Amino acid sequence: MKIYKKIIVTFLIFTAFACENELEFDPVDNLDGESALSTEENIASVLVGVYEEAGQDDSYGGQLQILVDLLGTTDEVSWNGTFVQPRQAFTKNFLVDNVWVRDVWGNAYEGINQTNLILERLDIITSSAAERDRIEGETRFLRALLYFDLVRNFGLPYEFGEVNDQPGVPLRTTGIIDYLVPLDAARNTVQEVYDLILSDAARAYDILPDSNGFYADKFAAQALLARVYFQQGDYANARDAADDVLTNSGHALADEFRQAFNNDTDGIEDIFAFQVTSQTGFNDLVVHYASEADGGRGDDISIDDEYLDRFDDPNDVRASFTYINPVNDSRLTLKYTSQFANIPTFRIAEMHLIRLESNFREGTAIGLDPLTEINALRARSEAAPLAGPLTEELIFNERQLELAFEGFLIHDIKRVKGNVNALPYNDPTLVFPIPQSEMDTNNLMQQNPGYGG
Amino acid sequence: MRKQNYRLLLVLLMSIFWMQAQEKTITGTVTDQNNVPLPGVNVVVKETIRGTQTDFDGNYTILASEGEVLVFSYLGQTTAERTVGASNTISLQMQEDAAQLEEVIVVGYGTQSKRTLTDNVVKLTSEDIKEVQNPNFQNALVGKAAGVQITQTNGKVEGGINIRVRGAASISGDSQPLYVVDGIPLSDPLSDNAVFTPGLANPTGNGAPTNPLLTLSANEIESIDILKDASSAAIYGARGANGVVIITTKKGKQGKATFSLNLAQGFSRPTNRREYLNAAEYIELFTEAARNSAAFDTPDEGQTFIENRFDRYAGDTDWRTGQVDTDWQDESFQDGYQTDADFSVSGADAKTSYFFSGAYTNSTGIVRGNELEKAAARINLSHQLTDKFKAGMNLSYSRSEIDRISNDNAFSTPLQAIAQTPLAVPRLPDGTPNNSTQYGNFLFDLDNAFFKTIIRRLTGKAFGEYKFTDYLKINSDFAYDFFSQTEEDYDGLNALFQSTSGQSQATDIYAENYIFSNYLTFDKTFSDKHNVNVVVGTEYNNINRRIGSVTSILFPSDAIPVVSRGAEVTAGTGIRRRSTFLSYFARATYAFDNKYLFKASVRRDGSSRFGKNVRFGTFPSVSAGWILSEEDFLKESKTLSFLKLRASWGQLGNAEIGDYPSRYLFSSFSYNKQGGLAPLQPGNDELTWEKSSQVDIGLEFGLFDGVVSGEIDYYNKETDNLLFALPLPRSGGAATVNTNAGTLVNKGVEVVLNTRNISTENFTWNTSFNISRNDNEITALGNNNADVITGRNILRVGENLNSFYMIEYAGVDSANGDALYFLNTENPDGTLNKATTNNPNEAQRVVVGNPYPEWLGGLTNTINFKNVDFTFTFQGQWGASIFNDAGRFESANGDFYDNQTRDQLNRWQNPGDITDVPQARLFEGNGTARSTRYLDSADFIRLRNISLGYTIPGKALESTGLSKVRIYVSGLNLLTFTSFDAGWDPESTVDFNGPAQPGIAFYSAPPAKTVTLGLNINF
Repeated sequence: MKIYKKIIVTFLIFTAFACENELEFDPVDNLDGESALSTEENIASVLVGVYEEAGQDDSYGGQLQILVDLLGTTDEVSWNGTFVQPRQAFTKNFLVDNVWVRDVWGNAYEGINQTNLILERLDIITSSAAERDRIEGETRFLRALLYFDLVRNFGLPYEFGEVNDQPGVPLRTTGIIDYLVPLDAARNTVQEVYDLILSDAARAYDILPDSNGFYADKFAAQALLARVYFQQGDYANARDAADDVLTNSGHALADEFRQAFNNDTDGIEDIFAFQVTSQTGFNDLVVHYASEADGGRGDDISIDDEYLDRFDDPNDVRASFTYINPVNDSRLTLKYTSQFANIPTFRIAEMHLIRLESNFREGTAIGLDPLTEINALRARSEAAPLAGPLTEELIFNERQLELAFEGFLIHDIKRVKGNVNALPYNDPTLVFPIPQSEMDTNNLMQQNPGYGG
Repeated sequence: MRKQNYRLLLVLLMSIFWMQAQEKTITGTVTDQNNVPLPGVNVVVKETIRGTQTDFDGNYTILASEGEVLVFSYLGQTTAERTVGASNTISLQMQEDAAQLEEVIVVGYGTQSKRTLTDNVVKLTSEDIKEVQNPNFQNALVGKAAGVQITQTNGKVEGGINIRVRGAASISGDSQPLYVVDGIPLSDPLSDNAVFTPGLANPTGNGAPTNPLLTLSANEIESIDILKDASSAAIYGARGANGVVIITTKKGKQGKATFSLNLAQGFSRPTNRREYLNAAEYIELFTEAARNSAAFDTPDEGQTFIENRFDRYAGDTDWRTGQVDTDWQDESFQDGYQTDADFSVSGADAKTSYFFSGAYTNSTGIVRGNELEKAAARINLSHQLTDKFKAGMNLSYSRSEIDRISNDNAFSTPLQAIAQTPLAVPRLPDGTPNNSTQYGNFLFDLDNAFFKTIIRRLTGKAFGEYKFTDYLKINSDFAYDFFSQTEEDYDGLNALFQSTSGQSQATDIYAENYIFSNYLTFDKTFSDKHNVNVVVGTEYNNINRRIGSVTSILFPSDAIPVVSRGAEVTAGTGIRRRSTFLSYFARATYAFDNKYLFKASVRRDGSSRFGKNVRFGTFPSVSAGWILSEEDFLKESKTLSFLKLRASWGQLGNAEIGDYPSRYLFSSFSYNKQGGLAPLQPGNDELTWEKSSQVDIGLEFGLFDGVVSGEIDYYNKETDNLLFALPLPRSGGAATVNTNAGTLVNKGVEVVLNTRNISTENFTWNTSFNISRNDNEITALGNNNADVITGRNILRVGENLNSFYMIEYAGVDSANGDALYFLNTENPDGTLNKATTNNPNEAQRVVVGNPYPEWLGGLTNTINFKNVDFTFTFQGQWGASIFNDAGRFESANGDFYDNQTRDQLNRWQNPGDITDVPQARLFEGNGTARSTRYLDSADFIRLRNISLGYTIPGKALESTGLSKVRIYVSGLNLLTFTSFDAGWDPESTVDFNGPAQPGIAFYSAPPAKTVTLGLNINF
């Protein structure tokens, strides 16, 4: 009897000790960080993760383009929506706690850190040199793209031929795993940031394959280079890069203007697009540009007559590429009406516009002479040809007819040194504030002028 | 109960054969102090093995000789002895055991008498919580426990409950106390809070928390013990730092079976409605705002623009003639009602105790579309198998069905409808919702969408207790808690923002929690003076969760909303989570002569949740007490009938930060149907418990034989290793990292005073008053004490936890109507520059308030006069502020089309006007920056509950067979005294933020005020 009791007690008390190893186990629905970065397959998946990151609604999923267009617009569209963050862009009145601005910043740097983690682990990729080049090239393309939109939104404009030592954004080029150490970083100059962008994009161009499915290929990198040079005002390089894409990429204008938009899979015109399906990806452009029936908020961004006034030919299909939302009688763009459609990021029409404007500014006719090229682009939309001679204003206008609502406006204005109402192109009001949360956590960070200390 | 008892059955048989000539038959009846016959009383002839039990009518028969002694024993009654004399009849009235009358406190793995307790524990009983009609029983505790702040996040029926014991002790760890129900530490399967790594947040629900104890019914609860100091809670180690709430469910009491039935019907309205502009005022203010706006070239252009808007909102009606004047609060709110019905059957004899109960609640909330229906049942059964071995089981199950509405941050929540213009009709003449409102009209969702949540919970415990000797026993408990929640969230073809021909999301969560605890208890009094009680044990707790969710779109018809009827599946989630705790604990109490009291305990806890280098923590405590009134120099005092001094120290932990907070994790993020990987959260191998050390010094006293009694406590609680998600520079690629950094001190004083003002046979009046003051301050932070700012809240050394931090509104420039802000830049001499600016980006943020109250008070009066009973509780709090984040929209001097609070009519209009409301300017953001303009003091006093009852006199019931019938009327939140005006109610805050951003309101529903009629019947 006594022994029996002792056994019970001992058993019950010591049951617990047997459980000690039950404190050690790995989660089964998320992957340990070390494993995620230790095999070739996983590194390839981390690269896919960067596309997903950059395609989120915080950036290329739509909010970035909307901020850029609303910041540049004066009376051609109206922001009617309830969100205060885009409204601040529309009224050129950013507050430092604007969370869209914060998320553009945060999302870009999340993607950048992921690219850094990959670039430091290229040694792991041993299956083939081509695979290694593909991974490195795509990664550098993405890092260059992210830094480009950071520097041109958060820094004062690039001035061609000047010393661009105005503050850009911090260049982070090593992957961060340990977040318990100080992470303060100062802003590099605009020039330094552009240098990294150009070197990354050029390297990507060198090593990427000619075609690469819906991922970035050689010509996506070249299209990015064209856009970067163009933004810098380096028209000769911009022209040559655009010409390369137009000549060699195999991409061409879609037969009809409408075919460039609302595509579930990349069309002939898409050099690079962020992919959206009903299950993955984000399309915030639809949310804010489309009617309720198409998955939007109705009339967050409506088109005003001042925009339609830009069209010189009423038969231009781009002029009628709008519809009236019956719910509120607002005029909306037809560019974003399918909520699961891809988001075109580089399309061939932009390359035509870069090449023709660069040729015009450089006085050259590489590929095509500018007037022929602009009329070719117009012809696709059944717009009457321009008689010439071309002017900067006509070309600027043509860009707005073709590329409106695609995230170009404020940067076009800055490049041509135009005005937004009374604000000159380099007014600090037209630069995003460094997010309050970054100012609060990064001791080396310096705020942009006009946004307090 | 003596040694003989274990042979009881044998005795009964054998006594028949051991009859001897000189023995005679003794008979008698045993009754209780109320002269009710007591069945099952043990009657034993002392120092023999002869014995029997009383029958159902309290009668017994036993053989005994003259001179022998009969011993009568019965649980809860003082054991009595009678010597057999000449008479053959010995009847007896037993008396309740005085020791049992002393308040018994449930302390975790045991109980202790309040008298000899050296800790600070508040006990509330079923009396305190009955008749407060609310589906969340915690609402009944408000104002009754000193130093305990209980608030429901907002007025939705299933809303989350925050309980803060002695101030906020944690930055962003869970703010919930540990709930222990009948010894089972409950886990909240839905508590993963979004503050810790959004990717790991629980994907179920609508972003708003629900009350984790929603499934428990008030009628099951016997008592609630809130362990406030570290010494009492230390036995729960790593999980006790937010306080421990021990809930004990009812057991059968010895005596005849009682059947009790309660019925109640309540009617609810919001505690408050705010004043918004009517149609004419809206037109006036917005016409002016448009004319003033720089967005238009001329005032007339502005007016034309806004009048087009008015036309659009007015639809087919004419706003110029005032045809429509909608008060959207009429649409948001509705009359709520609540029906409660519950019953219980309970009883016990000497061996078996039983309690069955059932409860049903049907509650319609005060917010449109928000309903709750729940049913619960319980059985608590225990049986004394032998005199050494007792076993039993508690088992409860419940089903709660909730019709949820969106969280506060959605157009589809009815509360945001108040932003709609009064010019728009809610519904068109054909009854369909108006689709030309400026914001999505929630009525589309009310008509065409549903979000049904069903929680099924089964909680059970099988337990055994074996007594080796009368001073040593072992308890073994195996508890199992099964939680299942299914959600169906369907947006119909015509729901708000619906573009995919319907969308259905079906989500299931299954959580299983089992707890195996074993402990030995030694309890013995040596030499009548030294009482020693030692508890030693172990506990293992394993929590598993499985969450699955599927979303589909493209439905042929709203009549078939189940997820499989959508043509395309667009999302699926499968999640498995697990965490474990392993604990060893010991506690020893020693009392000398009932005067000098000592206690020490230690618990060693290990958990999978913490960094691999720091899995185990040890949590000790010591306490001592001295009952001065037992000393000779006070023993005779009539004035000071009781006086006890006590002091304690202990350490506690907080482990409620999700399941894998220390791990460096990547998760899968798909891109165009290709699997991708991306970092989910940074790791921290050193992540460990938040550790709080608390000192408590208390004085308990009773005057004039307890006519006045009370407690005064001082405490100092220091929380180290504060666990929180430290915001990082986003340019590093991660938003936060979970760390232990910093120290927080809460110190305060609590005073409790109870008085028996009148105590006569027909008239009693008792008053209970408590007040507490808590001061909280951050004394250290990691990273060289650098500020940590999250939204409008800051952690700064020397300031209150999560202080409000924002720019300071300076009113209106009387010359031009601009909103002004204080610059608050630092002058060379260290003072703040109080010059003003109209550019909010130039103004520096400063600490401007505390989200937590400094003073809490409660006053309860209970009056019984003959058959009438009357009780009421006032509750108050002072020192906290609330920031209304919706002020930027609803009190923004006509900045956007949102309807405005009526105070905006005081806007600046002409040079020289002195007002706090800036000039109305459409779209210009004049004064709409987040500033102290929208911060308001949340002090209030509230008549929390009041109840008036009448018990029908016993005589009137004699013929009916009923033993008690009582009718009552009661009220909850009937009166509120406050100057708060930055939202509906000073207790309502947002339900979509984590605990790191307290004190923020955003279209947050006010609580309900409820009037209830009820009936209790016992037989």
